[in-house]
Amino acid sequence: MEGARDVRKPAPAHDGAVLEVSPLSDRAGIRVSGEIGVTTRPSWEDALAELARRHADVSYVELSRVGFVDVAGVSALAVTAMNLPGGRVVVECPPPQLSRVLALFWPALSGIEVAPR
Amino acid sequence: MTTAADRKDEKAGKDETFEHPALFYRDGQEYTDHMVPFVREGLALGEPVAVAVPGPNLDLIRSGLGPDAEDVLLLDMTDAGRNPGRIIPRVLRAFSDAHPHARVRIVGEPVWAGRSSVEYPACAQHEALINAAFAGRAATILCPYDETRLDADVLADARLTHPTVIAGGRERASDAYDWQAVVDRYNEVLVPAPDATVFTFGSAELPDVRHFAVDRAARLGLGGQRLQDLELAVAELTTNSVVHGGGQGTLWIWTEAGQVVCEVRDRGRLIDPLAGRRPPARGQIGGRGLMLVHYVADLVRLHTAPDGTTVRMYLGL
Repeated sequence: MEGARDVRKPAPAHDGAVLEVSPLSDRAGIRVSGEIGVTTRPSWEDALAELARRHADVSYVELSRVGFVDVAGVSALAVTAMNLPGGRVVVECPPPQLSRVLALFWPALSGIEVAPR
Repeated sequence: MTTAADRKDEKAGKDETFEHPALFYRDGQEYTDHMVPFVREGLALGEPVAVAVPGPNLDLIRSGLGPDAEDVLLLDMTDAGRNPGRIIPRVLRAFSDAHPHARVRIVGEPVWAGRSSVEYPACAQHEALINAAFAGRAATILCPYDETRLDADVLADARLTHPTVIAGGRERASDAYDWQAVVDRYNEVLVPAPDATVFTFGSAELPDVRHFAVDRAARLGLGGQRLQDLELAVAELTTNSVVHGGGQGTLWIWTEAGQVVCEVRDRGRLIDPLAGRRPPARGQIGGRGLMLVHYVADLVRLHTAPDGTTVRMYLGL
């Protein structure tokens, strides 16, 4: 079916990078696996929008199975955290690019907490 | 009695002019004699003042200022501005944006004796692009040039990239002022080294080209944070090729004079001369890719023409 897309499904394999998103079973938030880059950014941004809609006090983003995230991917997360009405996002086990990009472009951003690998 | 509101109004009147003089100095004494009063005048006017110059000159200004140095942001330009391409966003705009309601005063010395011939074209383009980046902004950026140790060509370029020049203690309008000519002149064709390895990529190969570059750079001796930075920078450049550069490109990598050199070539043309140097709005998701490359690399050289663009970065081993 042309045009219809389910963001929970992995991006097509021929497009290089793949991203899977699923809800966490034990707390508010998402588990992501794969790569966050230009071809998977729509899935990532949809997942963050959904996270923000459901956000209450603390939301978790579990990234232990993400091998790489690019600058726009980190930016999307930072902007999501910035626009939350309150509370914070806890990013668990992110790939090393995440802290580097946050430090370069959003030093001292409140609303985001990184729990390292 | 002058209130804070009065001072703000006074500033509002003269805020719109951007001043960008070059200062030609012959020795440390002349340097100190000009810089210290220049900084003090800014402090007396209530202007935020920053000084970004090479270490030894920073020492001259620091000791000349004495206790007043505490009120000035002092940066070693050989570090903060190692890559000239990051000086506008990371030093000049960062300082100016941190003081949105004030006129700012900055001493910026991006060109010093010892800049290599590979670095210099990027230095000259940086000086030229300051004029575009700060047009209409409330700022004075004074750029010192070491008249005794820099080449005559460098001093001639400074007369093209600065609307006014202070030499022998006198400030005059530069009749040679033509910054666009300097941007164009140093838009030099870049040729990869004969021993470079190359990888051709499209959208489907974005992860592969990144892995290729990281693997090659590691074999060439890059490690730790620098290797991670190269991975990020390669992702941004190759993504730009896929999105803006005709959908595909080639990545070339080699070593040269103790640095890993990595370049990405595509069929796109870079129209905006300030691409990668104009900080995006805080809430904007895109627009930081080329800036990231400028932030992490020791040098970025760029060539753009109707038939394609090359962005080359250098990372020290």
